Amino acid sequence: MSAAQIRFLTLWRREVSRFMKIKKQTLGAPLLETFLYVSVFGAALGSRIKELHGIEYIVFVIPGLIMMAWATNSFANNSSSILQQKFQGAIHDQLSSPASPLELLLAFSLGGFMRGLIVAALTFIVASILVDLPVDHVLVLVPSLFLVGFFFSQLGVLIGVRAEQFDDVAIAQTFVLTPLIFLGGVFYSAALLPQPFQTLTKFDPVYYMISLVRYGFVGYSEVSIPLSLLALTGATAALFAFNLRLFSRGYRLRA
Amino acid sequence: MSNDFSVDGVTAVASDKALHIEDLAKRYPTGVEALRGVSIDIEPGEFYGLLGPNGAGKSTLIHCTTGLAQPTGGTIEVFGHDAIDHYAEARQAVGLAPQEVNLDWFLTVEETLDFHAGYFGMPKRERHERTKELLEIFSLVDKADERTRTLSGGMKRRVILARALMHRPRLLILDEPTAGVDIELRLELWHYVQRINQEGTTILLTTHYLEEAEQLCSKIAFIADGQIAAQGSSRELADRYGVPNLEDAYLALVGRNELSRSKVEGLAS
Repeated sequence: MSAAQIRFLTLWRREVSRFMKIKKQTLGAPLLETFLYVSVFGAALGSRIKELHGIEYIVFVIPGLIMMAWATNSFANNSSSILQQKFQGAIHDQLSSPASPLELLLAFSLGGFMRGLIVAALTFIVASILVDLPVDHVLVLVPSLFLVGFFFSQLGVLIGVRAEQFDDVAIAQTFVLTPLIFLGGVFYSAALLPQPFQTLTKFDPVYYMISLVRYGFVGYSEVSIPLSLLALTGATAALFAFNLRLFSRGYRLRA
Repeated sequence: MSNDFSVDGVTAVASDKALHIEDLAKRYPTGVEALRGVSIDIEPGEFYGLLGPNGAGKSTLIHCTTGLAQPTGGTIEVFGHDAIDHYAEARQAVGLAPQEVNLDWFLTVEETLDFHAGYFGMPKRERHERTKELLEIFSLVDKADERTRTLSGGMKRRVILARALMHRPRLLILDEPTAGVDIELRLELWHYVQRINQEGTTILLTTHYLEEAEQLCSKIAFIADGQIAAQGSSRELADRYGVPNLEDAYLALVGRNELSRSKVEGLAS
């Protein structure tokens, strides 16, 4: 193994070790949250709504929950990890190492990506035990989930780098991320919304992400799948390029 | 003198200076000019002291050398490698024990050392052996599995020093390493850094303890207002300011001659 490979693996290992050390908070709590959503929306609402577009309501909701789990955990992990390390000054150990901006960015990104993947995978396993969850288009589902995870990992890195206090992360999560996800159609079909909310939903990028993942699982979509996939790929690449530029310039990392 | 070494398989030929800084400038976005045309040369194997009052620019100079701050002018070369254009090779050669305690709260002492060496590309077996060696040297064996946040101040300082040495740097930068530590650790540290210096490690030390600089350093520079005011041996600096010792030379630098012990003792008698 080359020195560069050892370096990158160590940087990534540090990120994974951080969330594994506090797994009750980083893995347990999100799982409980998802379980509560399934209980409330499946048992309570599901008994009344029954079906949406010919799909059992709880089955319609679960793809959105899996996407939400991956997205929120990727974001929360990276934004918190970077801010905490900046706050402690511990990030100086990585910044003064021979690691390149690309290595640093990828390692920080993949830490949150990994946490999101674990929570999403556990949610999928639990959901599969509770309900009959189909996987209709695996070739759309897998790239869509990976892109969503990577996009929100990048977003978490961006917020973590920009943040100067813990409030900055909390504000982004509470006032931007959560509304976008909840209003993006995790729990309902945008096609059933009255105007102008139906049109407004189409301006929410998360709507297209949920649509892609839902299509991958149950085969139902209200949007163009190729166009959505292309737009998500473009947005993820653009965000990654932007973050790489920030890391190369040392923005809010190096004085 | 020339040395060959490699980073990520790329062999480089080093120049004859351990650290060559020329006309270094650092202006922060706030407009503060922390460094204004600093030039210093540190020879391989030298024990070099950098003294100056708080805010003089010592830490900024160190941060520029280690990549934690970005210079706005001038050049820095570590063993012939430009610290900006060839940062990987330059940083590989440097070990930094910073002034502030910047340990990762989530890691144990052993993990702190292991991860640090990993960031510098050290293979697992070598990391394991080096960790064991440094835990023993710094009397940290019993604390190996403790999280760093639970350690006392002195223990944290030991971990920081051990961490800086993990990847066997050729240039060790100690930014006020003995600030706030007990006498025992201070003396232990003195013995250890003198030993590794004799074995060939170049050392750049900043300190507010003048007797520490006098005892350890073969060459000392005074820095004030972001500029090098004078440099030389302890004796040369005293001669330059026309005073009997390094402490009085320092007081002359900061314009506080009235605090000289000879005058204070004179008043007491």
